[in-house]
Amino acid sequence: MRVDRSRLPEVEPDPSFTFPSVCKVILPNGLSVWSVEHRKIPVVSCLLLLPGGSAEDPMGQAGVTSLTAALLDEGCGKRSGLELHRLLGRLGTQLNVRVGMDATTLRLTMLRRFSNKALSLLAELVGEPRFELEAFDRLRKLRLDRLAQLREVPAAIADRAFAHVLYRDQPYGHLPFGTESAIRRLTRDDIVARHSQAYRPSEAIVILAGDATHAEFEQMAGEAFGDWKAVGTVGQQSERIPHGESKRASLVVWDRPQAAQSELRIGHVAVARNTPDYFPLLVMNTALGGQFTSRINLNLREAKGYTYGAQSSFDFRREPGPFSVQTSVHTDVTANAIQEVLGELHAVRDGRPLTDSEIVHAKRTLTRGYPQGFETANQIVRGLAQLALHDLPHDHFTQFSPSVTAVQSEDIVRVTQTHLDPLHLSTVVVGDLTVIKDGLHDIGLDAPEKIVLP
Amino acid sequence: MNLPFIKHTLANGLDVIVHEDHGCPIVAVNVWYHVGSKNERPGRTGFAHLFEHLMFEGSQHTNQGYFYPLQQAGAELNGSTNADRTNYWEVVPSSALDLALWMESDRMGHLLPALTREKFENQRDVVLNERRQNYENRPYGMVGMATMEALYPVDHPYSWMTIGRIKDLQAAELDEVRSFFKTFYGPANASLTIAGDVEVDKVLEMAEHYFEEISGGPAPPAVEVEGPLICDERRLLIEDRVELPRLYLAWHSPQLFGPGDAELDLLSDVLSNGKASRLYRTLVHELRLATDVSVVQSSRELSGVFQIVATAAPGHTLRELDDVISIELERVSADELTTDELHRSLVQIETSFVCQLETVGGFGGKSDQLNGYNVVVNDPGYFETDLSRYRNATSATIARISRDHLSDRQRIAVSVVPIGATKLALPDSVVAEVS
Repeated sequence: MRVDRSRLPEVEPDPSFTFPSVCKVILPNGLSVWSVEHRKIPVVSCLLLLPGGSAEDPMGQAGVTSLTAALLDEGCGKRSGLELHRLLGRLGTQLNVRVGMDATTLRLTMLRRFSNKALSLLAELVGEPRFELEAFDRLRKLRLDRLAQLREVPAAIADRAFAHVLYRDQPYGHLPFGTESAIRRLTRDDIVARHSQAYRPSEAIVILAGDATHAEFEQMAGEAFGDWKAVGTVGQQSERIPHGESKRASLVVWDRPQAAQSELRIGHVAVARNTPDYFPLLVMNTALGGQFTSRINLNLREAKGYTYGAQSSFDFRREPGPFSVQTSVHTDVTANAIQEVLGELHAVRDGRPLTDSEIVHAKRTLTRGYPQGFETANQIVRGLAQLALHDLPHDHFTQFSPSVTAVQSEDIVRVTQTHLDPLHLSTVVVGDLTVIKDGLHDIGLDAPEKIVLP
Repeated sequence: MNLPFIKHTLANGLDVIVHEDHGCPIVAVNVWYHVGSKNERPGRTGFAHLFEHLMFEGSQHTNQGYFYPLQQAGAELNGSTNADRTNYWEVVPSSALDLALWMESDRMGHLLPALTREKFENQRDVVLNERRQNYENRPYGMVGMATMEALYPVDHPYSWMTIGRIKDLQAAELDEVRSFFKTFYGPANASLTIAGDVEVDKVLEMAEHYFEEISGGPAPPAVEVEGPLICDERRLLIEDRVELPRLYLAWHSPQLFGPGDAELDLLSDVLSNGKASRLYRTLVHELRLATDVSVVQSSRELSGVFQIVATAAPGHTLRELDDVISIELERVSADELTTDELHRSLVQIETSFVCQLETVGGFGGKSDQLNGYNVVVNDPGYFETDLSRYRNATSATIARISRDHLSDRQRIAVSVVPIGATKLALPDSVVAEVS
């Protein structure tokens, strides 16, 4: 039988998706242990979630949370950093450290037969880091060198500048990696203090998934982390509540003479993860700039050829994070590209709201593709970390698709009106000011500020 | 540990490989076309990759772009081009397998009627922007081009990068797209793998249904190059907008799956993977001469490149780095790697082999691996042989391969330094022409 090419095949109904059950226990030292049985291959993934991120860097210490995390594997207990890394190497695993604005995560993936030993090393390095002066000095210097290098990476500068423009000296105003001026002033004592504040078993969660039973996971977590005790007292908690600058329109430029492209960030402070409008915003952004077939990408890439790709996103954090459009465009079309982005943001809010078919398309993308986000043990532990970080209900993953499906076009209209504010956008350009300034003038973006980063 | 599969070749020459994995209700569809930038000719570099972009712009019976119907079905999808091959994949809910096969077969069999000058010129602009973003506007971004041009003779297809040269991309013609498709995109030059929550018999039937009617000639002949490749030491200099100088050392090395390829993979791990690795420990930790170091054995079908890259810490020259690297390579060649070092690297590699078995789709997932083995060694079942290459390596075989390949008299050394700071480069470096 010949293939019927007169129309696309129907897609059968989605296979049902239920997130596997999560077992939660609390060890006597207050540490929560979550586990998921995921017995496909003989591998275990472990993620330790610590609630403090760079938003809790004390005033004047931008980067201290990140540097503290980076120093954990430089020696702990009786072991030097070198010995520790040799041991991890023999277990075939490597420590993955990630410091975000809201949390710190430490992640290990290893063969099942090595999981007990690997977890013990993880417990040792969070509980008894040495923070030797030599290591502190060496890593601080490496960090300063890296920050200097990143000044020539357009995307890195754009991200730094955008956070700074939106939040100034508020907690979300610097990236986790920190700033040169603050890191230069840090001392080992600052690291020790940050560690005793942020690394406390009663605040942390160990998340395990992979080839073991719940009982085995509980046992391995108990053996490894049972003796973990907080160091010192909590001390003075940061009083600062993160919030954005009052909204205002602005344009800042980081001059990069002879740049082949202009790196752009356009946006404003928007909403926190706990907004009741989460699902309508997710659908709206998917259609606006969240995927290849979104308006912004189809316009800037597929119609105009200005860029290799353009995206928009709501960064859903514990406190209101930014809405932003991110792209890198040919220098010659910088002003045109900005104008097209502004046009799309105005249009989706006022002139040309999303159509029913755009909304259906976005909803289907989100729901039908959802189960593939939980194929591996690593994906499962990272998903659960989001659940824990944002205090989401235990059935969040199972309820995700029904919640997306329930979004109505009136909801989209309402959340677009409420949370998208095209009149108060901050625009960051990392590009060749000499070449682009006339074009910016022509679209009414005059007198760009030159940005100075701390 | 293995990766089971069924392979069946259709009458038109298309290889079909199926692997069942019922862990998640998804299926990966992965197609490799055995064509890459090695099949290009001087003056038309970058063409294979530009062509890959056009495969996403719609085909005769679905002219709304390739992404739209698949994203609506919940697919993740992408493609990539390298020197040797071009691959395309989508991961869809198992309920959308029909759609994915319909789409892949439509662009394999019926691409050209939907091709227009407008699409062609738009995607050329997109690719030029990809080049600006990933090479021209990136620190150290042009060094790969300088290295490849220095390492290979001018008519060798590895002497240019897959992204291509700007003037070649601008000179490309629409008619060349048509002949390129006819020459390289026939079923006999392709390999289709379907992996996931499916049943073998049913999938083979579906694959026959969608792909058997596509006609095409025989696969094009393999690219032949003259060998063996040798080069004298050449020292090149690039002044770039960078904060710190960086040294790039490159040697000719064994081809993909060739003798010594796995040894050099292991060596790259021993030298630079993690804080206990040899070069990190000496250069970054103990001597504090460098801020970072990485080593890779980048092996391809015709030949490989072994590369060491290190960034000098402020106040240090690239010559200081080179001296330490040379000493460490001499130690390797003198068979001084320890059993423990080698053991650690082997356990890491074994772990990564196991972890790759956890995901069906995407770059490096099981479907991509099966296709890779099939296209390169004509055996999708090469998984265990592949792993055994690493298990059979010893410090003595690594020492021998190092002696054979990693001489400091037969290498390319590119110094990238901040503008005006040429004194930080290796002595006697010559300015590299890159564009």
